[in-house]
Amino acid sequence: MEEWIQLLEEAREIRRREADWHFINSLPPKLRLALTYFVEVGDIYVASRIAGMKVGEFDELRRKAKVPMV
Amino acid sequence: MDREFWMELLEEAREIRRREADWAYIDMQPPRLRAALRYYVETGDFRTAARLAGLGVEEFLERAREAKIPLVL
Amino acid sequence: MTEAIADTSFLIDWARYSRRDLLWRLFDVVHLPESVLAEIYSEGTLAWIVDGLASRRMALFTETDDVVDLARRIVSLSRALPARGVDLPEAVCLAAGLKFGYVVLTENGGAVMAPSFLNELSPVKVMRALDVLHALAQAGHIGLRDEVARYQVETGHRFAKRDLRRLGLE
Repeated sequence: MEEWIQLLEEAREIRRREADWHFINSLPPKLRLALTYFVEVGDIYVASRIAGMKVGEFDELRRKAKVPMV
Repeated sequence: MDREFWMELLEEAREIRRREADWAYIDMQPPRLRAALRYYVETGDFRTAARLAGLGVEEFLERAREAKIPLVL
Repeated sequence: MTEAIADTSFLIDWARYSRRDLLWRLFDVVHLPESVLAEIYSEGTLAWIVDGLASRRMALFTETDDVVDLARRIVSLSRALPARGVDLPEAVCLAAGLKFGYVVLTENGGAVMAPSFLNELSPVKVMRALDVLHALAQAGHIGLRDEVARYQVETGHRFAKRDLRRLGLE
């Protein structure tokens, strides 16, 4: 259990570090918040719902924002 | 709560919306929004009002807020 | 574990209340239908929801066919309500309340009245912001009179005298 928590934490750290925050902060609120949520939690489905996008569309946005899937 | 309580509450809610609304502001709005705001004052039905206005629910309730129409019930 | 499901009308006012996180004192998790999330656009409300989702105090509720079918039935039954029926997004919350025992958080008149008028919905507990504030006061987290006043000022919401009288506030 401890190992999973550490893995999740490490994944979050990687997403935070690699993200293009300049790009993310330039976006309208819904998209910015959706990407911020994705960086913190890594849940693409919920993030796509926040953005009002299909998962595939959100995934493209994620790539533009340089947030890796970990 | 019984039937009578709800009917009286709905009526009171309508009176509050009528009293608090900024009618001068409402009358200056474009026709669809004006009609939607009036409908909302009378019925409290924000969802139908939003559709009348061609707006999303939250957007419409923001416009209602600007027109000083409170959410009551 | 006490769970709730919230609709748009509840969230967009509650999110403006400075002590909105008191909601977590009453509910372990508040579910948020996808259709409700799709209706929210203001940054302040969205930011609070995103915090809630990230901290797992809120959970996205995906409307499955069985819930939507029940919701459609509730919409149909609600035509018999005096003055106001229930629309599908609110009916989804009532359906989830019936199926999963969630408390339904709404300010929608039709949804609030429905359990009083429709036998099928009588097990569903519905709470408006005033009821949430009252429950928080009963649990000793707030002083009711002051918080009701604060809520109205901060959100622009108005509580009817009839409601306030029922709680001994008028």
